[in-house]
Amino acid sequence: MTPVPRLKVRFTWVHAAALLIAAFVAAPLYWMAASSFKPQNEIGANPPTVWPDSGTWSNYRDAFVTNNFGTYLLNSAIVSITATILVLGLSTFAGYALARLPLRGKAPVMISLLMISLFPTIALAAPLFLLMRELGWLNSYQGLVLVYAALNVPFAVWILRNFFLGIPKEMEEVAWVDGASPLRTVLSVILPQAAPGVFTAAIFTFTACWTEFLIALTLNTADSYRTMPVGLALFGSQFTVPYGTIFAAATVSVLPIALLVLVFRRAVVSGLTAGAVKG
Amino acid sequence: MSDDVPEGTPPAGGPPEEDAGSTAYVPRRVTTGGSTTGSTTLKAAPPGGQGRRKPRAGRHNSALERRFARMGWIFTAPALVVVLAVTLFPIAFSVAMSLSNVTVSSGGFQLSGVTTDNYSLLLGSARWQHALVFTVLYTVGTVVAELVLGTMIALVLERLSGSRGWMMALLLLPWAMITVVSAQLWAYMYNGIYGVLTALSNGLTGEPRQFLGTPGPAILSMAVADVWKTTPFVAIIVLAGLMMLPTDVVEAARVDGAGSWTAFWRVRLPLLRPALTIAVLFRILQAFGIFDLPFVLTGGGPGDATESLALLGWQVMFTNLDFGPGAAVAASTAALVLVGCLVFLRAFRARVGDEETTA
Repeated sequence: MTPVPRLKVRFTWVHAAALLIAAFVAAPLYWMAASSFKPQNEIGANPPTVWPDSGTWSNYRDAFVTNNFGTYLLNSAIVSITATILVLGLSTFAGYALARLPLRGKAPVMISLLMISLFPTIALAAPLFLLMRELGWLNSYQGLVLVYAALNVPFAVWILRNFFLGIPKEMEEVAWVDGASPLRTVLSVILPQAAPGVFTAAIFTFTACWTEFLIALTLNTADSYRTMPVGLALFGSQFTVPYGTIFAAATVSVLPIALLVLVFRRAVVSGLTAGAVKG
Repeated sequence: MSDDVPEGTPPAGGPPEEDAGSTAYVPRRVTTGGSTTGSTTLKAAPPGGQGRRKPRAGRHNSALERRFARMGWIFTAPALVVVLAVTLFPIAFSVAMSLSNVTVSSGGFQLSGVTTDNYSLLLGSARWQHALVFTVLYTVGTVVAELVLGTMIALVLERLSGSRGWMMALLLLPWAMITVVSAQLWAYMYNGIYGVLTALSNGLTGEPRQFLGTPGPAILSMAVADVWKTTPFVAIIVLAGLMMLPTDVVEAARVDGAGSWTAFWRVRLPLLRPALTIAVLFRILQAFGIFDLPFVLTGGGPGDATESLALLGWQVMFTNLDFGPGAAVAASTAALVLVGCLVFLRAFRARVGDEETTA
């Protein structure tokens, strides 16, 4: 056998497989977007239509004008963005200290952080509910922000620490010789170089906050404080699920994440693999 | 027992630390053997380290070193305090709650006595036993399916050249989606009256199929929705692992006459173990705590066929307001997760700490 036909066979085989994978991943996404443009009667049509027969924006109007998905979206944005900023502030310094400063007990700290970050949130739901009730922070932004920050600090510290370890030490040493304090070193020497790492941590934290459901469902049940996942899960009655409205809201909720992921693909991939291989 | 995390950057090429006056940087490896600060805590940082220089045999610079160490704890403390306050304290409280009689009244919430009643209630409950069996089998089933499919997808993507970036972007979309959204989407597609999958299976087999109506198909349908959302995560981690493999090893195997099949099983797969371990570990943890998907897709039904431990715990606590038994479900779930991960790590003989800290 000559190598040429074998190569050819492999070429088409790979492309066919890739197409199949792409179709499996994309088809449900297409179905969601397409359904969001179908009017009520077409949503319930049997057999279903592949392309909206009579495309309409009425579901979007229904979701964001008639119903409260605008509020849920805003709540999600407020909570996710605030929590992300908080996480970055806390984790940058902690990650730097764990990467560079001579701390005793680094290993226990890192390992307990990892263990905590992996804990199932159901174990936290009831105590956090009681704690927030004591603080009067049920149905508030600050309660959810605090919890999301704590849940996401460990992973952000891991990402940032790994990233800081990869930055050459020379510049910091120069700064130290010049008498700069560690604080100043972090702010003016490290941060500019670590921008991609900080960015990766930011995308991860934001995505995690944006999609979190269990804690949000437990702490923020009042309609005006619901986040997008809670709003989407609790919308509709027991007997009818208004899928058109839900998919209009869902499509809008996917867009910011989709944009982030598409534009900053490299950062996301490097973050995903930060645990196993160097970032 | 060394407390030091191995530093990634080797100490090669650094200037020797001889001159206490001028070397104003942190020594690369802190090995103060007989140091009394072994149990340094947040508050116990040595006071006034800057001024009091205690000369130590063979160690200069200890004042500066301690100043940096103190700075280190100041940098780390806020993050640790937040994490501990919001996770460790609730976990401890959960355990306490599961071991006492909890009474909820309008006035508040009281714990009294130490009892194992909540746990014996659990062990005797058919609903809990079912949730446990379901969660374990579901976790094993989906993680194995995701691992096999994810590795296959990674192998396909590895051979793609031009469009790999776009494929990865597409794969990231389900992973980054709100789980509630994908659950609603699959619920719609599985709908028994107007779902597209129902119509498709009807067209193919000629008989109407109810995906979510009976236990077996409902569990399988939920697993398919789960696999759709999470396999891309596994695929991307495995792909990153594949691209990091030293090519010369595989080349050497080829030269020695190994076909690509043999090369994969005997050479590449063993080398992939760290990447696979991480992917599986993350997935086990997520799958075992599964909550969003059954909450929206099936509500735990039909009956309690798809009721996971997390869903059971949440419903006992927040629907029935039985906080004691609910806490027992939650705490035992967490304990099982930890045990499961340790068993897995032992079985794979993987040392995650080493791989992760050597960046």
